[in-house]
Amino acid sequence: MKQTRIFPKVALDMFVIQLVWTGGFLGIMFLINIVKLIIAGVQGNEVEGYFNTIFITGNIYMLIIGLLSIHFLSHYVGNGVTRKDYFIGSFLASIGIAIILPIFTIIISSLEKFVLNLASISTKVQSINEVDIDDNIIGDIVQSIIISPYVDPQDNWIMAISVLALNLYIYYLIGWLISSSFYRFDVMAGIGFILIALNFKMLKDTLLRISLELPVPGWFSWLDFLPSGMALIGVLLIIVVTVWFIRLLTKRIAIKM
Amino acid sequence: MNVKAEKVQLKYGKDFALKDISFELSGEKIYGLLGRNGAGKTSLLSILASFREPSSGTITINGEIPFENAKVMQQVAFLYNKDYKEESDNVIDMLEDIQRYRPNFDKNYAEYLVDRFKLDRKKPIKKFSKGMQSSLNVIMGLASRAPVTIFDEVYLGMDAPSRDIFYRELLEDQGKHPRIIILSTHLVSEMDYLFDEVMIINQGTILLHEEIDTLLAKGATITGNADLVNDFTSNKKQINMQELGTAKSVTIYGELSDDEREAALESGLDLAPVSLHELFIHLTEEEN
Repeated sequence: MKQTRIFPKVALDMFVIQLVWTGGFLGIMFLINIVKLIIAGVQGNEVEGYFNTIFITGNIYMLIIGLLSIHFLSHYVGNGVTRKDYFIGSFLASIGIAIILPIFTIIISSLEKFVLNLASISTKVQSINEVDIDDNIIGDIVQSIIISPYVDPQDNWIMAISVLALNLYIYYLIGWLISSSFYRFDVMAGIGFILIALNFKMLKDTLLRISLELPVPGWFSWLDFLPSGMALIGVLLIIVVTVWFIRLLTKRIAIKM
Repeated sequence: MNVKAEKVQLKYGKDFALKDISFELSGEKIYGLLGRNGAGKTSLLSILASFREPSSGTITINGEIPFENAKVMQQVAFLYNKDYKEESDNVIDMLEDIQRYRPNFDKNYAEYLVDRFKLDRKKPIKKFSKGMQSSLNVIMGLASRAPVTIFDEVYLGMDAPSRDIFYRELLEDQGKHPRIIILSTHLVSEMDYLFDEVMIINQGTILLHEEIDTLLAKGATITGNADLVNDFTSNKKQINMQELGTAKSVTIYGELSDDEREAALESGLDLAPVSLHELFIHLTEEEN
């Protein structure tokens, strides 16, 4: 009997579940944004656009659904699916979510811009890239952990979507990596993986900043000499290495009962 | 179908959960796996279901190692006392999801069982009582019709009528769609009539593996005058003994020839069969 491939089913199922969650997240953020627009309108202030709101909150959202991803493992192995099929399926679904989320965001954001222009309300210019580089190492590190490189959709919407997708995807992957390490090992090892994941994230931000020719803070700033093409390859390498770590952790993992 | 274990060991740190397990299950039968708490039942079954790998030794299903083998893993269903406290799906959504991954899943049969166990179709599973969640495990296990179906103490929390439905449906469906069914249980006296073969596991090793009739034929309780009972049982494996005044009752384990039976009866001794429940208690008690 010919064996049908199982990972496409896993990919589709996980994509659909996470798409429903994503719809909920984007919907709630949209409602919050409307409230913020009304308040800003009443007070006569500039308003924060939807794209910028998702740029910040989307990272945390992706980290959380990345953390939840490992819980599907027991479900699938319990239903006779191999760890490999779970891994490939989850991986494909996660790429799908990292692509679809920025696309939905830019569509909603464009509609919002259109309405705001009709009402002659101006939006705040995002100044997130103007990081303060000084001798304060702690400050630099904190900045480099929490702030991701930003491209304004009005300057280049394809680039804006791509950068947002990359930022979001790394957050998903580090969530998945951290939860896989906690599932596989004890708390101490899990904390070790949190540190590794943070470094991956900072390194990716540094390389992305170099390739976008933005100011470079943090302890990877010495990489500034890299040409932008090389830096972009470096970003892809970080993704490959993170995914490979997750596979190594889950390849022969014992299922918790 | 054939399930074979050869010198399987499982270590958690320095402790052995399974010491040296070898057995072979061949044929579509119902196998009872009996063992006391911590004997290694769930460890063994979790290896069969590819939930984990053995530390050493091999398990094969139809000659193939099941771990990470997509073809074999699809054919093994492992139902256990799972925690559903975060499961917000209802029964129907859950069954539809499982159907996507189980090639032999019978949806109509699953729905029939949902009615049979009187499960609420709309209620989130996390709001089910423990017994209802166990009934759901039974439904998933039976309706998946996996060629190797494992129920690990799946009845926990189920009331007596629900357990009775489980046993009846199990026998009826096994008649129509024979497969290897492994039932791990503590409720020996309640479930003994279901088993074709019995394996007793104790302290990480297989104590015995016999067809149920052969096993029951090996046990006997000899009652009568203490001296006569002592004479008769002195060269037999004694697994239990009770004395009351001059009367004595000894339970033995080992085959009795027809001549021996006749001699016992002629000397006024009483021979009674032993239940699986008693054999299980005394055999594992003695070993401990």
